[in-house]
Amino acid sequence: MSLSRNVLAIIVLMLIIWASLLLVSYVVAITILYTLEFPGDTLISIARVILGLLIAGAWVLGWYKLTRLWLYKILLSRKREI
Amino acid sequence: MLEAVVSGLVTFFLAPAAIALGRRLGITGVDVHKPWKPVVPKTGGLAIALGAVAGMLTGAYISGIRVFVPIILSCLIAAAIGFIEDLREEINPRLKPLLLVFASLPILAFEAYYPRPLIPFLGRARLYKVYPMLIMASYPIVCNAVNSVDVLNGSALLTSIPFFIMSAAIFYLRGDYHLLLLSLIFLAAAAAMLPYNMYPAKTFIGNSGSLFLGAGMTSIAVVGSIEVAAIIALIPQIMNEMYVLFSIRGIRSAKGVGKRPVVLEDGALTASREPDAPITLLRMICAGIKVDERRAVYAMALISAFAALLGFLTNLLLGG
Repeated sequence: MSLSRNVLAIIVLMLIIWASLLLVSYVVAITILYTLEFPGDTLISIARVILGLLIAGAWVLGWYKLTRLWLYKILLSRKREI
Repeated sequence: MLEAVVSGLVTFFLAPAAIALGRRLGITGVDVHKPWKPVVPKTGGLAIALGAVAGMLTGAYISGIRVFVPIILSCLIAAAIGFIEDLREEINPRLKPLLLVFASLPILAFEAYYPRPLIPFLGRARLYKVYPMLIMASYPIVCNAVNSVDVLNGSALLTSIPFFIMSAAIFYLRGDYHLLLLSLIFLAAAAAMLPYNMYPAKTFIGNSGSLFLGAGMTSIAVVGSIEVAAIIALIPQIMNEMYVLFSIRGIRSAKGVGKRPVVLEDGALTASREPDAPITLLRMICAGIKVDERRAVYAMALISAFAALLGFLTNLLLGG
């Protein structure tokens, strides 16, 4: 049962990552990828790329922090079972 | 279908020779998750590579599917890098991603891609300049991600098989016979290696096998234009690699990290409770419990199957 609970917890985490990935991939596409493909005004282009990188970076960091929380506060917080 | 049958049969019947070669050349590794620490050849990947290449060559030269040629070259470059790593024990972890960029070159040289990926909420984007750069970056990422889940007997194969099933299902629904065959070729090679690589492993697939499979997945995603579905299906592998990089603070050898993510207790795996031990998918699976190696691998496979299902559903929703 405990293994099933761990797998379920990881799947829930994966669902959160999946949903946020769809959003972030859209944001990256309209900021970084769009600007690299169709560079326009230099300042606006730089601003778009920086904004995209910040959002993508924040998402990756958030993903890692969420995983740490998942591991230490949810999965490892329980008493050890055999 | 002949191509997939060739791939499976060649892999299955070459595996004993690959195992013997590994023993003869001393290309072996210690199975650290078993109390008796057996020494196992890590040349199973050679049989997978030769089997899948035989299947793709059959497709390229008997059925005339020319798109298989750059994929063969890409996968062989990745497998060669992996084999060198198997021989030398390790390649500089900063050099390895750069070397794996070479695996993307045949796809770029043959222009075997469609630079209009399907982006969520946006539809088909036009990325004629950026797309080649993304291809170059994708090979090291995916190959290393697949490599990072090769930690238990059968884990790399059982976590890769759902990807190939997903891509086969997408191409079947799309009516793309050539790419369906390509997915089945890799699926057959991976499945044929299972009897040798499952617990207790007679051989590891080694870096040659995991990098070959990673290059195969990347090639399928790029050539088949299923990038987003592929990324989603590979979330378990990618998150595993990302966690390790974050945990050990950068691109450096995980072998040099003193703390292990899982420890062996009474013959079973359990997650390390050390706060600075690397976070891995296996550590999360074994958190707070003792798990038999076989059950841990099945849990990894289940998580990968769920990710592949999400990838498949996403592709359907995007209209791919």
